[in-house]
Amino acid sequence: MKDELAWVLQAQQGNGEAFTQLVEEYQTHVYNLCYRMLGEPEAAEDAAQETFLRAYQNLHRYDRGRSFATWLLSIGAHYCIDRLRRRKLSMFSIDEENDDGTTFEIADASSPDPEAESVKREDRDRLHILLKGLDETDRAAIIMRYWYDYSEIEIAESLSLTVSAVKSRLHRARRALAGMWQEDEPRSPRARTERRAYESPAF
Amino acid sequence: MNHQPFEDWLLNDKPIQPKQKLELDAHLRICNYCAALAETGRALHSVKKVSPAAGFSARFQQRLVLQQAAERRRRLWGAVLFTFGGLVILLWIAAPYLTSFFASPATRITSLVGWGVFLVTTLRAMFEAGSVVLDVIPSFLPPFAWMVLLSAFAGISLLWSVSIWRFVRFPRGV
Repeated sequence: MKDELAWVLQAQQGNGEAFTQLVEEYQTHVYNLCYRMLGEPEAAEDAAQETFLRAYQNLHRYDRGRSFATWLLSIGAHYCIDRLRRRKLSMFSIDEENDDGTTFEIADASSPDPEAESVKREDRDRLHILLKGLDETDRAAIIMRYWYDYSEIEIAESLSLTVSAVKSRLHRARRALAGMWQEDEPRSPRARTERRAYESPAF
Repeated sequence: MNHQPFEDWLLNDKPIQPKQKLELDAHLRICNYCAALAETGRALHSVKKVSPAAGFSARFQQRLVLQQAAERRRRLWGAVLFTFGGLVILLWIAAPYLTSFFASPATRITSLVGWGVFLVTTLRAMFEAGSVVLDVIPSFLPPFAWMVLLSAFAGISLLWSVSIWRFVRFPRGV
């Protein structure tokens, strides 16, 4: 944290090396958001680079009282939302693009049960696909909430929304995801419950 | 089917009592929607971050260098076009004076007087037209309507100026 502030200060004074340190530190943070928002590795790489470029160009506007990570994610989320809206306007479907597998999920070394981990991975992949069906801003709110553990206040700050709007967007997105999940897997609730017998339904 | 209070428990992501958990389990066995809500909740709570391909930082450096070079080129071309355009306009405006510069003193004085007369006549005509408009138009509309119109115009102008100022000063997300 102390290092981060020092790098930000140095970068604001024009030190390119310090900004490179910030890129190294936050590349996964920003790239993951862009990947979850846009759905493909190439677009995510481009959006993440553009996010850092915008941050570099607007570094003088950064308020040191705010978290640098939140500021970066805010730039990235707005950029991805705009990009998705432009994409929608040009009637271009993201489902038509292929995933070339150039992303790497951070492995969970602590997993004791490979089978359970494999099921979880399957569900995560499914979730990644279903995310594409959400409204852009709802998608950003869900990503910030579950991938970054952001509070509703932080999400509101990052997406320029009110806290009550964030709450309602999160609930709407969760309901939409459940609906899509149900359509995607028309299995009986019993089968699902049995499959999940090893897990607690309450979080 | 009534999904309450189970839907709220699942959406709020807060711990529940053992008795509530039993009720929820029973509900999940008979409700497809809440079961899907619970499954997506579990999936969302087990998400992981993905990293970019190796060399992201180096690729960013390359892009930054290219962007800065493009910016420099854009600025250079902007300056060249601005200077060239300015020179063309300046020459166009100054051309009559430049030609009169080479003319005899009598021709120069005549063109100067002619230009002065044109300026004075134009200004007088504009003032007269303005006073006629100001005399005639108020009779068409009552003073109250004028107040409303002017206030609306001022409000829209203010809104427009503030929007442009905000857009320029605070780009989205920055």
